[in-house]
Amino acid sequence: MAESFQATIDKRAAVINTFKTELIRRLNLPYTPEDLHEDVALLGAGLGLDSLDALEIVLCIENSFGIKIPDQNIAVLRSINTVVDFVLAEQAAQEANK
Amino acid sequence: MRISPFHNQFAAAEGSRAVFADRFGSEIVSRVSDAATEYRFVRDAAGISDFSFMQRFRFPEEKGLDFLDSLCAGNVVKLRFGRMLHTFLSDPNGNLVADCYIANNDEECILLCESIIDDEALKKTLIGCGAENAGMEDLSESHAVLSIDGYKAWSVAKDLFGPDVLGLPYLSIERYDFKGAAVSLFRAGKTSEFGYLLLVPQGNAAELFEACEASAKKVGGGLCGVDIHGDLRLEGRFFNIFAEGAAVLDPLSLGLQWMIDFNKEKFVGREAILARRSGGLTHKIIGVSSAAGDGLMKKGAPIYHGPDKVAEVVASCFSPALSRFVGLALFPLPLAFAGLSFCLGSAGGPPVETISMPPIMPKSLTVKLDEM
Repeated sequence: MAESFQATIDKRAAVINTFKTELIRRLNLPYTPEDLHEDVALLGAGLGLDSLDALEIVLCIENSFGIKIPDQNIAVLRSINTVVDFVLAEQAAQEANK
Repeated sequence: MRISPFHNQFAAAEGSRAVFADRFGSEIVSRVSDAATEYRFVRDAAGISDFSFMQRFRFPEEKGLDFLDSLCAGNVVKLRFGRMLHTFLSDPNGNLVADCYIANNDEECILLCESIIDDEALKKTLIGCGAENAGMEDLSESHAVLSIDGYKAWSVAKDLFGPDVLGLPYLSIERYDFKGAAVSLFRAGKTSEFGYLLLVPQGNAAELFEACEASAKKVGGGLCGVDIHGDLRLEGRFFNIFAEGAAVLDPLSLGLQWMIDFNKEKFVGREAILARRSGGLTHKIIGVSSAAGDGLMKKGAPIYHGPDKVAEVVASCFSPALSRFVGLALFPLPLAFAGLSFCLGSAGGPPVETISMPPIMPKSLTVKLDEM
Protein backbone atom coordinates (compact mmCIF):
# COMPACT_ATOMS: atom_id res chain seq x y z
CA MET A 1 0.00 0.00 0.00
CA ALA A 2 1.51 3.35 -1.02
CA GLU A 3 2.35 5.67 1.85
CA SER A 4 0.19 8.55 0.61
CA PHE A 5 -2.74 6.19 0.24
CA GLN A 6 -2.36 4.94 3.82
CA ALA A 7 -1.67 8.48 5.04
CA THR A 8 -4.98 9.60 3.53
CA ILE A 9 -6.76 6.80 5.37
CA ASP A 10 -5.00 7.52 8.67
CA LYS A 11 -5.78 11.23 8.51
CA ARG A 12 -9.44 10.64 7.75
CA ALA A 13 -9.76 7.86 10.33
CA ALA A 14 -8.40 10.15 13.05
CA VAL A 15 -10.98 12.87 12.32
CA ILE A 16 -13.79 10.31 12.07
CA ASN A 17 -12.91 8.71 15.40
CA THR A 18 -12.64 12.02 17.21
CA PHE A 19 -15.94 13.27 15.80
CA LYS A 20 -17.87 10.04 16.44
CA THR A 21 -16.61 9.74 20.00
CA GLU A 22 -17.53 13.35 20.80
CA LEU A 23 -20.89 13.06 19.04
CA ILE A 24 -21.85 10.00 21.06
CA ARG A 25 -20.70 11.60 24.31
CA ARG A 26 -22.38 14.96 23.79
CA LEU A 27 -25.70 13.60 22.50
CA ASN A 28 -25.68 10.51 24.70
CA LEU A 29 -26.32 8.28 21.69
CA PRO A 30 -26.86 4.57 22.46
CA TYR A 31 -24.18 3.47 20.01
CA THR A 32 -20.48 2.71 19.85
CA PRO A 33 -18.31 4.55 17.29
CA GLU A 34 -18.22 1.35 15.23
CA ASP A 35 -22.04 1.39 15.06
CA LEU A 36 -22.15 4.74 13.31
CA HIS A 37 -21.70 4.44 9.57
CA GLU A 38 -20.01 7.54 8.22
CA ASP A 39 -22.78 8.11 5.67
CA VAL A 40 -25.63 7.96 8.18
CA ALA A 41 -27.82 11.06 8.01
CA LEU A 42 -27.40 13.19 11.11
CA LEU A 43 -30.60 15.22 10.91
CA GLY A 44 -34.12 14.06 10.02
CA ALA A 45 -33.71 10.56 8.59
CA GLY A 46 -31.01 8.28 9.98
CA LEU A 47 -30.02 9.31 13.49
CA GLY A 48 -33.05 11.60 13.50
CA LEU A 49 -31.41 14.42 15.40
CA ASP A 50 -33.28 17.72 15.75
CA SER A 51 -32.34 21.39 15.50
CA LEU A 52 -31.11 21.53 19.11
CA ASP A 53 -28.88 18.55 18.41
CA ALA A 54 -27.62 20.39 15.32
CA LEU A 55 -26.37 23.20 17.57
CA GLU A 56 -24.62 20.64 19.72
CA ILE A 57 -22.95 19.17 16.63
CA VAL A 58 -21.73 22.62 15.59
CA LEU A 59 -20.25 23.11 19.08
CA CYS A 60 -18.77 19.62 18.94
CA ILE A 61 -16.92 20.48 15.71
CA GLU A 62 -15.75 23.84 17.09
CA ASN A 63 -14.44 22.33 20.31
CA SER A 64 -12.93 19.19 18.84
CA PHE A 65 -11.22 20.74 15.83
CA GLY A 66 -11.18 24.48 16.46
CA ILE A 67 -13.19 25.03 13.29
CA LYS A 68 -16.32 27.15 12.94
CA ILE A 69 -19.13 26.20 10.59
CA PRO A 70 -20.47 29.20 8.67
CA ASP A 71 -24.09 30.09 9.38
CA GLN A 72 -26.59 28.61 6.96
CA ASN A 73 -24.14 25.93 5.84
CA ILE A 74 -26.54 23.07 6.44
CA ALA A 75 -24.88 20.95 3.77
CA VAL A 76 -21.99 20.29 6.16
CA LEU A 77 -24.25 18.61 8.71
CA ARG A 78 -25.81 16.07 6.38
CA SER A 79 -23.70 13.07 7.44
CA ILE A 80 -20.60 12.20 9.45
CA ASN A 81 -18.67 12.01 6.19
CA THR A 82 -19.76 15.50 5.09
CA VAL A 83 -18.64 16.86 8.47
CA VAL A 84 -15.31 15.08 8.10
CA ASP A 85 -14.86 16.44 4.55
CA PHE A 86 -15.42 19.95 5.90
CA VAL A 87 -12.97 19.50 8.77
CA LEU A 88 -10.26 18.04 6.51
CA ALA A 89 -10.71 20.84 3.97
CA GLU A 90 -10.48 23.51 6.70
CA GLN A 91 -7.41 21.84 8.22
CA ALA A 92 -5.77 21.74 4.79
CA ALA A 93 -6.58 25.42 4.24
CA GLN A 94 -5.12 26.32 7.65
CA GLU A 95 -1.96 24.35 6.83
CA ALA A 96 -1.63 26.13 3.52
CA ASN A 97 -1.96 29.53 5.18
CA LYS A 98 0.80 28.86 7.71
CA MET B 1 -48.89 -11.86 -8.97
CA ARG B 2 -50.75 -9.13 -7.06
CA ILE B 3 -51.87 -6.68 -9.76
CA SER B 4 -51.32 -2.96 -9.22
CA PRO B 5 -54.56 -1.19 -8.27
CA PHE B 6 -53.41 1.66 -10.52
CA HIS B 7 -52.56 -0.51 -13.54
CA ASN B 8 -55.29 0.95 -15.74
CA GLN B 9 -54.64 4.54 -14.68
CA PHE B 10 -50.92 4.37 -15.42
CA ALA B 11 -51.49 2.50 -18.69
CA ALA B 12 -54.10 4.99 -19.89
CA ALA B 13 -52.46 8.22 -18.72
CA GLU B 14 -51.76 10.84 -21.35
CA GLY B 15 -48.49 10.09 -23.14
CA SER B 16 -47.89 7.04 -20.97
CA ARG B 17 -45.38 4.44 -22.08
CA ALA B 18 -45.98 2.44 -18.93
CA VAL B 19 -43.85 -0.65 -18.40
CA PHE B 20 -45.02 -3.14 -15.79
CA ALA B 21 -42.90 -5.74 -14.03
CA ASP B 22 -42.97 -8.27 -11.22
CA ARG B 23 -41.25 -7.41 -7.95
CA PHE B 24 -41.38 -10.24 -5.44
CA GLY B 25 -44.90 -11.21 -6.50
CA SER B 26 -46.32 -7.70 -6.83
CA GLU B 27 -46.87 -5.89 -10.07
CA ILE B 28 -44.98 -2.61 -10.22
CA VAL B 29 -45.12 0.27 -12.66
CA SER B 30 -41.43 0.29 -13.57
CA ARG B 31 -41.45 3.24 -15.92
CA VAL B 32 -44.00 5.66 -17.30
CA SER B 33 -41.79 7.78 -19.56
CA ASP B 34 -38.04 8.20 -19.91
CA ALA B 35 -35.76 8.25 -16.88
CA ALA B 36 -34.64 11.85 -17.45
CA THR B 37 -38.22 13.15 -17.43
CA GLU B 38 -39.17 11.21 -14.32
CA TYR B 39 -35.99 12.33 -12.58
CA ARG B 40 -36.76 15.99 -13.34
CA PHE B 41 -40.34 15.57 -12.11
CA VAL B 42 -39.04 14.64 -8.66
CA ARG B 43 -35.98 16.89 -8.42
CA ASP B 44 -37.80 19.98 -9.81
CA ALA B 45 -41.53 19.42 -9.26
CA ALA B 46 -43.62 16.47 -8.07
CA GLY B 47 -43.73 12.85 -9.18
CA ILE B 48 -46.68 10.53 -8.55
CA SER B 49 -45.74 6.86 -8.22
CA ASP B 50 -47.61 3.67 -7.46
CA PHE B 51 -46.17 2.23 -4.25
CA SER B 52 -48.81 -0.47 -3.86
CA PHE B 53 -46.05 -3.06 -4.03
CA MET B 54 -45.56 -2.20 -0.34
CA GLN B 55 -47.17 -4.77 1.91
CA ARG B 56 -49.41 -3.12 4.47
CA PHE B 57 -50.96 -4.28 7.70
CA ARG B 58 -53.03 -2.75 10.47
CA PHE B 59 -52.94 -3.70 14.15
CA PRO B 60 -54.96 -2.41 17.08
CA GLU B 61 -52.59 -0.21 19.07
CA GLU B 62 -52.93 -2.04 22.41
CA LYS B 63 -51.56 -5.27 20.92
CA GLY B 64 -49.78 -3.94 17.86
CA LEU B 65 -47.02 -1.94 19.54
CA ASP B 66 -45.80 -4.85 21.64
CA PHE B 67 -46.04 -7.31 18.78
CA LEU B 68 -44.20 -5.07 16.32
CA ASP B 69 -41.59 -4.34 18.99
CA SER B 70 -40.92 -8.06 19.33
CA LEU B 71 -40.71 -8.38 15.55
CA CYS B 72 -38.67 -5.44 14.24
CA ALA B 73 -35.23 -4.15 15.20
CA GLY B 74 -36.23 -0.65 16.27
CA ASN B 75 -37.80 0.46 19.50
CA VAL B 76 -41.50 0.40 18.63
CA VAL B 77 -42.92 0.70 22.14
CA LYS B 78 -41.48 4.21 22.42
CA LEU B 79 -43.24 5.27 19.22
CA ARG B 80 -45.36 8.30 20.04
CA PHE B 81 -48.83 8.99 18.76
CA GLY B 82 -48.76 10.52 15.29
CA ARG B 83 -45.20 9.45 14.56
CA MET B 84 -43.47 6.82 12.45
CA LEU B 85 -40.44 4.64 12.97
CA HIS B 86 -38.15 3.54 10.16
CA THR B 87 -36.73 0.13 10.97
CA PHE B 88 -36.39 -3.35 9.49
CA LEU B 89 -37.46 -6.96 9.80
CA SER B 90 -34.79 -9.61 9.58
CA ASP B 91 -34.90 -13.40 9.52
CA PRO B 92 -33.61 -15.53 12.43
CA ASN B 93 -30.14 -15.42 10.84
CA GLY B 94 -30.14 -11.65 11.08
CA ASN B 95 -30.47 -11.11 7.33
CA LEU B 96 -32.80 -8.47 5.96
CA VAL B 97 -36.32 -9.39 4.96
CA ALA B 98 -38.16 -6.06 4.88
CA ASP B 99 -37.54 -2.34 5.20
CA CYS B 100 -40.38 -1.16 7.43
CA TYR B 101 -42.25 1.95 8.38
CA ILE B 102 -44.31 1.56 11.55
CA ALA B 103 -46.83 4.31 12.28
CA ASN B 104 -48.78 4.91 15.45
CA ASN B 105 -52.03 6.57 14.50
CA ASP B 106 -54.97 7.03 16.82
CA GLU B 107 -55.88 3.58 18.06
CA GLU B 108 -54.01 1.60 15.46
CA CYS B 109 -50.54 0.80 14.22
CA ILE B 110 -49.80 0.54 10.54
CA LEU B 111 -46.93 -1.52 9.18
CA LEU B 112 -45.71 -0.65 5.66
CA CYS B 113 -43.14 -3.04 4.23
CA GLU B 114 -40.79 -3.02 1.28
CA SER B 115 -39.80 -6.65 1.37
CA ILE B 116 -37.67 -9.02 -0.65
CA ILE B 117 -40.08 -11.89 -0.13
CA ASP B 118 -43.58 -12.18 -1.59
CA ASP B 119 -46.88 -11.45 0.14
CA GLU B 120 -47.50 -15.03 1.14
CA ALA B 121 -44.04 -15.58 2.61
CA LEU B 122 -44.16 -12.29 4.53
CA LYS B 123 -47.59 -13.01 5.90
CA LYS B 124 -46.46 -16.49 6.92
CA THR B 125 -43.48 -14.95 8.72
CA LEU B 126 -45.69 -12.46 10.56
CA ILE B 127 -48.23 -15.10 11.53
CA GLY B 128 -45.41 -17.38 12.69
CA CYS B 129 -44.36 -14.60 15.07
CA GLY B 130 -47.88 -14.22 16.49
CA ALA B 131 -49.44 -11.57 14.25
CA GLU B 132 -52.91 -13.10 14.38
CA ASN B 133 -52.97 -12.90 18.17
CA ALA B 134 -51.98 -9.25 17.80
CA GLY B 135 -55.05 -8.61 15.64
CA MET B 136 -53.28 -8.19 12.31
CA GLU B 137 -55.42 -7.07 9.39
CA ASP B 138 -53.88 -7.34 5.91
CA LEU B 139 -54.58 -4.18 3.90
CA SER B 140 -52.71 -5.27 0.79
CA GLU B 141 -55.89 -6.05 -1.17
CA SER B 142 -58.26 -3.54 0.45
CA HIS B 143 -56.02 -0.45 0.19
CA ALA B 144 -53.68 1.10 -2.36
CA VAL B 145 -50.56 3.21 -1.84
CA LEU B 146 -49.58 6.29 -3.84
CA SER B 147 -46.31 8.12 -3.35
CA ILE B 148 -45.88 11.85 -3.95
CA ASP B 149 -42.24 12.90 -4.10
CA GLY B 150 -40.47 16.02 -5.15
CA TYR B 151 -39.28 19.53 -4.53
CA LYS B 152 -42.91 20.63 -4.82
CA ALA B 153 -44.61 17.50 -3.49
CA TRP B 154 -45.82 19.62 -0.59
CA SER B 155 -47.94 21.58 -3.08
CA VAL B 156 -49.79 18.43 -4.16
CA ALA B 157 -50.35 17.36 -0.56
CA LYS B 158 -51.59 20.86 0.28
CA ASP B 159 -54.00 20.82 -2.69
CA LEU B 160 -55.44 17.52 -1.53
CA PHE B 161 -55.64 17.97 2.22
CA GLY B 162 -55.16 21.65 3.02
CA PRO B 163 -52.32 23.72 4.47
CA ASP B 164 -52.13 21.64 7.68
CA VAL B 165 -49.94 19.11 5.87
CA LEU B 166 -47.14 21.68 5.63
CA GLY B 167 -46.59 21.49 9.37
CA LEU B 168 -46.15 17.74 9.50
CA PRO B 169 -42.64 16.74 10.54
CA TYR B 170 -40.65 14.05 8.74
CA LEU B 171 -41.79 10.58 9.84
CA SER B 172 -45.26 11.48 10.97
CA ILE B 173 -48.73 10.17 10.13
CA GLU B 174 -52.03 11.97 9.89
CA ARG B 175 -55.46 10.90 8.73
CA TYR B 176 -57.38 13.07 6.27
CA ASP B 177 -60.77 12.92 4.65
CA PHE B 178 -60.76 12.62 0.88
CA LYS B 179 -64.27 12.77 -0.56
CA GLY B 180 -65.66 10.78 2.32
CA ALA B 181 -62.82 8.26 2.55
CA ALA B 182 -60.21 8.10 5.31
CA VAL B 183 -56.75 8.49 3.77
CA SER B 184 -53.67 7.97 5.91
CA LEU B 185 -50.86 10.33 4.96
CA PHE B 186 -47.31 9.34 5.90
CA ARG B 187 -44.75 12.12 5.75
CA ALA B 188 -41.79 10.06 4.65
CA GLY B 189 -39.96 9.68 1.35
CA LYS B 190 -36.56 8.37 0.35
CA THR B 191 -35.60 10.69 -2.49
CA SER B 192 -34.21 13.49 -0.26
CA GLU B 193 -36.99 15.74 -1.59
CA PHE B 194 -40.39 16.16 0.11
CA GLY B 195 -42.24 12.85 0.26
CA TYR B 196 -45.70 11.63 1.19
CA LEU B 197 -47.20 8.14 1.08
CA LEU B 198 -50.99 7.95 0.83
CA LEU B 199 -52.82 4.83 2.02
CA VAL B 200 -56.27 4.90 0.46
CA PRO B 201 -59.17 2.42 0.30
CA GLN B 202 -59.27 0.71 -3.10
CA GLY B 203 -62.71 2.15 -3.84
CA ASN B 204 -61.33 5.70 -3.70
CA ALA B 205 -57.93 5.02 -5.24
CA ALA B 206 -58.81 6.00 -8.81
CA GLU B 207 -60.27 9.34 -7.75
CA LEU B 208 -57.27 10.11 -5.54
CA PHE B 209 -54.93 9.19 -8.39
CA GLU B 210 -56.67 11.66 -10.69
CA ALA B 211 -56.50 14.43 -8.10
CA CYS B 212 -52.78 13.77 -7.47
CA GLU B 213 -51.92 13.68 -11.15
CA ALA B 214 -53.83 16.91 -11.88
CA SER B 215 -52.17 18.70 -8.96
CA ALA B 216 -48.68 17.45 -9.89
CA LYS B 217 -49.17 18.71 -13.45
CA LYS B 218 -49.98 22.17 -12.10
CA VAL B 219 -46.43 22.43 -10.72
CA GLY B 220 -44.77 20.86 -13.75
CA GLY B 221 -44.71 17.29 -12.45
CA GLY B 222 -46.29 14.06 -13.53
CA LEU B 223 -46.29 10.30 -13.27
CA CYS B 224 -43.20 8.30 -12.37
CA GLY B 225 -42.32 4.64 -12.35
CA VAL B 226 -40.71 2.84 -9.47
CA ASP B 227 -37.35 2.34 -11.19
CA ILE B 228 -36.39 6.00 -10.99
CA HIS B 229 -36.78 5.80 -7.21
CA GLY B 230 -33.78 3.47 -7.14
CA ASP B 231 -31.63 6.21 -8.67
CA LEU B 232 -33.13 8.93 -6.49
CA ARG B 233 -32.53 6.89 -3.33
CA LEU B 234 -28.95 6.23 -4.28
CA GLU B 235 -28.25 9.91 -5.01
CA GLY B 236 -29.72 10.81 -1.63
CA ARG B 237 -28.08 7.80 0.09
CA PHE B 238 -31.38 6.48 1.32
CA PHE B 239 -31.35 2.77 1.99
CA ASN B 240 -32.81 0.68 -0.84
CA ILE B 241 -33.65 -2.88 0.11
CA PHE B 242 -34.20 -3.78 -3.54
CA ALA B 243 -30.63 -2.76 -4.48
CA GLU B 244 -27.85 -2.82 -1.88
CA GLY B 245 -30.17 -4.44 0.69
CA ALA B 246 -30.86 -7.52 -1.43
CA ALA B 247 -27.21 -7.73 -2.49
CA VAL B 248 -25.65 -7.53 0.99
CA LEU B 249 -28.43 -8.61 3.40
CA ASP B 250 -26.40 -7.92 6.56
CA PRO B 251 -27.83 -4.77 8.21
CA LEU B 252 -24.51 -4.02 9.93
CA SER B 253 -22.46 -4.03 6.73
CA LEU B 254 -25.19 -1.86 5.21
CA GLY B 255 -24.80 0.72 7.97
CA LEU B 256 -28.32 0.26 9.34
CA GLN B 257 -27.31 0.22 13.00
CA TRP B 258 -29.37 3.39 13.45
CA MET B 259 -32.48 1.31 12.80
CA ILE B 260 -31.64 -1.06 15.67
CA ASP B 261 -32.22 -0.75 19.39
CA PHE B 262 -29.34 -2.90 20.65
CA ASN B 263 -30.73 -2.75 24.20
CA LYS B 264 -33.99 -4.48 23.30
CA GLU B 265 -34.42 -7.96 24.65
CA LYS B 266 -36.24 -9.33 21.66
CA PHE B 267 -36.56 -8.95 17.92
CA VAL B 268 -36.29 -11.46 15.10
CA GLY B 269 -32.61 -12.09 14.29
CA ARG B 270 -31.36 -10.30 17.41
CA GLU B 271 -28.93 -13.01 18.55
CA ALA B 272 -27.34 -13.35 15.11
CA ILE B 273 -26.98 -9.59 14.69
CA LEU B 274 -25.53 -9.10 18.17
CA ALA B 275 -23.08 -11.95 17.58
CA ARG B 276 -21.88 -10.33 14.35
CA ARG B 277 -21.60 -6.99 16.12
CA SER B 278 -19.52 -8.53 18.92
CA GLY B 279 -17.28 -10.29 16.43
CA GLY B 280 -16.54 -6.99 14.71
CA LEU B 281 -17.49 -5.82 11.27
CA THR B 282 -15.25 -6.99 8.41
CA HIS B 283 -16.87 -5.15 5.47
CA LYS B 284 -19.17 -2.23 4.87
CA ILE B 285 -20.70 -0.40 1.96
CA ILE B 286 -19.44 3.03 1.00
CA GLY B 287 -20.16 5.46 -1.81
CA VAL B 288 -18.24 5.30 -5.06
CA SER B 289 -18.23 7.52 -8.11
CA SER B 290 -16.75 7.18 -11.57
CA ALA B 291 -16.85 8.94 -14.89
CA ALA B 292 -16.46 5.54 -16.56
CA GLY B 293 -19.09 4.88 -19.20
CA ASP B 294 -22.21 2.86 -18.81
CA GLY B 295 -21.64 -0.86 -18.59
CA LEU B 296 -18.65 -0.69 -16.26
CA MET B 297 -20.19 0.77 -13.09
CA LYS B 298 -22.79 -1.89 -12.46
CA LYS B 299 -23.81 -4.35 -9.79
CA GLY B 300 -21.12 -7.00 -9.36
CA ALA B 301 -18.35 -4.91 -10.96
CA PRO B 302 -15.03 -5.57 -9.23
CA ILE B 303 -12.92 -2.77 -7.79
CA TYR B 304 -9.14 -3.12 -7.71
CA HIS B 305 -6.40 -1.68 -5.56
CA GLY B 306 -3.22 -2.33 -7.51
CA PRO B 307 -3.40 -5.92 -8.74
CA ASP B 308 -5.86 -7.02 -6.07
CA LYS B 309 -9.64 -7.14 -6.25
CA VAL B 310 -10.72 -5.46 -3.01
CA ALA B 311 -14.39 -4.59 -3.41
CA GLU B 312 -17.51 -5.05 -5.48
CA VAL B 313 -20.20 -2.63 -6.64
CA VAL B 314 -23.60 -3.52 -5.12
CA ALA B 315 -25.71 -0.67 -6.51
CA SER B 316 -25.20 2.02 -9.12
CA CYS B 317 -26.87 4.62 -11.30
CA PHE B 318 -26.03 7.59 -13.44
CA SER B 319 -26.47 10.79 -11.47
CA PRO B 320 -27.78 13.64 -13.63
CA ALA B 321 -26.96 16.05 -10.81
CA LEU B 322 -23.29 15.03 -10.80
CA SER B 323 -22.97 13.96 -14.45
CA ARG B 324 -21.17 10.87 -13.19
CA PHE B 325 -21.99 7.35 -12.18
CA VAL B 326 -22.48 6.89 -8.46
CA GLY B 327 -22.85 3.70 -6.53
CA LEU B 328 -22.27 1.75 -3.39
CA ALA B 329 -19.58 -0.88 -3.04
CA LEU B 330 -18.78 -3.41 -0.34
CA PHE B 331 -15.27 -2.72 0.94
CA PRO B 332 -13.13 -4.41 3.60
CA LEU B 333 -13.06 -2.22 6.68
CA PRO B 334 -9.40 -1.07 6.39
CA LEU B 335 -10.17 0.43 2.96
CA ALA B 336 -13.72 1.67 3.64
CA PHE B 337 -12.98 5.39 3.61
CA ALA B 338 -14.05 8.22 1.34
CA GLY B 339 -11.39 10.08 -0.61
CA LEU B 340 -9.49 7.14 -2.09
CA SER B 341 -8.93 6.17 -5.70
CA PHE B 342 -9.19 2.63 -7.08
CA CYS B 343 -9.62 0.99 -10.48
CA LEU B 344 -12.98 -0.15 -11.83
CA GLY B 345 -13.54 -3.43 -13.62
CA SER B 346 -9.93 -4.60 -13.76
CA ALA B 347 -6.46 -3.82 -12.45
CA GLY B 348 -5.52 -0.76 -14.45
CA GLY B 349 -9.16 -0.04 -15.31
CA PRO B 350 -10.65 3.45 -15.24
CA PRO B 351 -10.52 5.30 -11.92
CA VAL B 352 -13.30 4.99 -9.37
CA GLU B 353 -13.25 7.14 -6.25
CA THR B 354 -14.74 6.46 -2.86
CA ILE B 355 -16.93 9.40 -1.89
CA SER B 356 -18.84 10.89 0.99
CA MET B 357 -22.56 10.35 0.80
CA PRO B 358 -24.99 11.84 0.09
CA PRO B 359 -23.23 13.42 -2.88
CA ILE B 360 -25.98 15.88 -3.83
CA MET B 361 -27.67 18.79 -2.11
CA PRO B 362 -31.42 18.57 -2.82
CA LYS B 363 -33.37 21.76 -3.40
CA SER B 364 -35.96 20.69 -0.84
CA LEU B 365 -33.48 21.33 1.99
CA THR B 366 -33.53 25.02 1.17
CA VAL B 367 -37.33 25.45 1.14
CA LYS B 368 -38.69 27.51 4.03
CA LEU B 369 -42.19 27.15 5.43
CA ASP B 370 -43.13 30.72 4.55
CA GLU B 371 -42.27 30.03 0.90
CA MET B 372 -44.86 27.26 0.65
